[in-house]
Amino acid sequence: MKKQWWATFTAGTFALIFMLPLFGAIYTSLRTDNAIASGPFVWEFDQGFTHYRNAMGAAGYDFESFFKNSIMISTGTVILTTLISLPAAYSIVRLGFGGAWLLRIALGLRILPAVFFIIPFYKLFTNLAIVDSVRGLVLANTFVNLTLALLIFSSAIKDLPYEIEEAAHVDGAGVFRILRSIVFPLMGPGLAAVGVLTFIFSWSDYLFAVVLSSSEATPVTVGAANFVTSYGVRWGDISAAVTLSVLPPLIFATLAQKYLVKGLSSGAIKG
Amino acid sequence: MIRQRKDKVSAFVLASPLLLFLSALVVWPIYLGIKTSLSRDLLSEFEITPAGLDNFKAILSTPDFWSALRFTILFAVVATLLEGLLGFLLALVFDRKFPGKRTLFSMVLVPIMIAPSLMAVMYRLILNENIGIIPGFLQKFGWDISIFDQKYVFFTLVCLDAIQYTSFAFLLVYAALQNIPQEIYESAAIDGARYRQVIARITIPILRPALAIIAMLRLIDSFRTFDTIYILTGGGPGTSTQTIGIYIYKTAFITGDFGMASAASVTLVLLLAPLMPWIIKQFRLDVK
Repeated sequence: MKKQWWATFTAGTFALIFMLPLFGAIYTSLRTDNAIASGPFVWEFDQGFTHYRNAMGAAGYDFESFFKNSIMISTGTVILTTLISLPAAYSIVRLGFGGAWLLRIALGLRILPAVFFIIPFYKLFTNLAIVDSVRGLVLANTFVNLTLALLIFSSAIKDLPYEIEEAAHVDGAGVFRILRSIVFPLMGPGLAAVGVLTFIFSWSDYLFAVVLSSSEATPVTVGAANFVTSYGVRWGDISAAVTLSVLPPLIFATLAQKYLVKGLSSGAIKG
Repeated sequence: MIRQRKDKVSAFVLASPLLLFLSALVVWPIYLGIKTSLSRDLLSEFEITPAGLDNFKAILSTPDFWSALRFTILFAVVATLLEGLLGFLLALVFDRKFPGKRTLFSMVLVPIMIAPSLMAVMYRLILNENIGIIPGFLQKFGWDISIFDQKYVFFTLVCLDAIQYTSFAFLLVYAALQNIPQEIYESAAIDGARYRQVIARITIPILRPALAIIAMLRLIDSFRTFDTIYILTGGGPGTSTQTIGIYIYKTAFITGDFGMASAASVTLVLLLAPLMPWIIKQFRLDVK
């Protein structure tokens, strides 16, 4: 069959446009301040990665702590979301808890705009004294990701062969034992899908972070946006900081791309 | 299999973290949100007093609220149509074998993995009038325009939104395309159908339910647009690109009027509520 180069060309054009912002950031981050200031097409590259060293602490920005916060918030959210939704999905699917209505309610949440929750969360978190803490942002992001995780886990559990669980039950294994020793080890793909999507989406959160953090728990999203307003002309340092901020979810998701695709198209709903 | 009483207890125990979380971080906040919308609750005043429907009356007669709502709906509809169309076309391109397909597939998915707010910072970088690549190019071709000018800002923001979100539409359409059995296409080919006919008569009708869901989800999500526009324009020039999300955020945390902002949130939810049963039905959630 004839090679379809036109398809390569079309897909390549889309890919190029989609990646242009990232290429632009990397390009700027590698150029000298002088070149950046003289115009976008002055080719003069910085040999010592000065902008990256500045972003990582050499110039006294707080960027390093934003980075740590993002890692802690995203990892914490993945763990909490899994701990809450996996047992619940098992209970709903296999033990018939609440029938389909629990899933329906969770799905209904998908339609409520997150912005509705910023004021109640701010008030609630102030009362609990968890404003501007990593714990608080983990809770807020778990709220955001719960629906998708429940849907992915439910459909993954539905796909497991029931016979194994039944056999274990006949042999006298209790529900918790079955969940721990049979279901959990078979949930690899589902766990990977929830893990990668929850990680990306909590890394991406801006709205809750901007409302619920002020300095201690600020993640990279808010940090980078503030960076632009407060250090407006240091474009080299900004682009290095943004490039670094984009990398962790990008690497993680590219490695787990199979699960990302499957999770998004089966759970099919987070955007 | 006979369900035992013990099973019912374990079912409840396993679901209890979810129930606890939903009560504390969904049910209670919804109550708080409604209560705040019915109160006089200003950052500048210590006391919070009941206000009946005052906030709702005020919000419904605020021009900024209505213009934000109008902008949000217009933006959501235009962006959804554009992203749906581009995503669909791109999915058709990918629905065949071609050189470099795997690498390009990974590259096309990259925007999904980038936070919208970080994307917005990168947009500011490449669109900056003095140092940006895009204005640099435009100037080379003699186009000296400011793309965030009142005249172009809507178009600019829709294009930037499409760069971020076309991938989502693409991925979902592509997944749906893979479910169409190959035999249908083969028999159409035997009958001598042309590509355009196959798309119009076979692919689109089969995909219609999936396309409806994808469009609805994109529409709902466009309603939430906040990060990118807030970082790029702050809602300006003036209030011309203020989304409902930006309006609520600013009313609460910059003007300091929690009551008004909550009333706007409640109104927004009431406007979206009629879509809820439709969405839930589309997903056909069965437990078995």
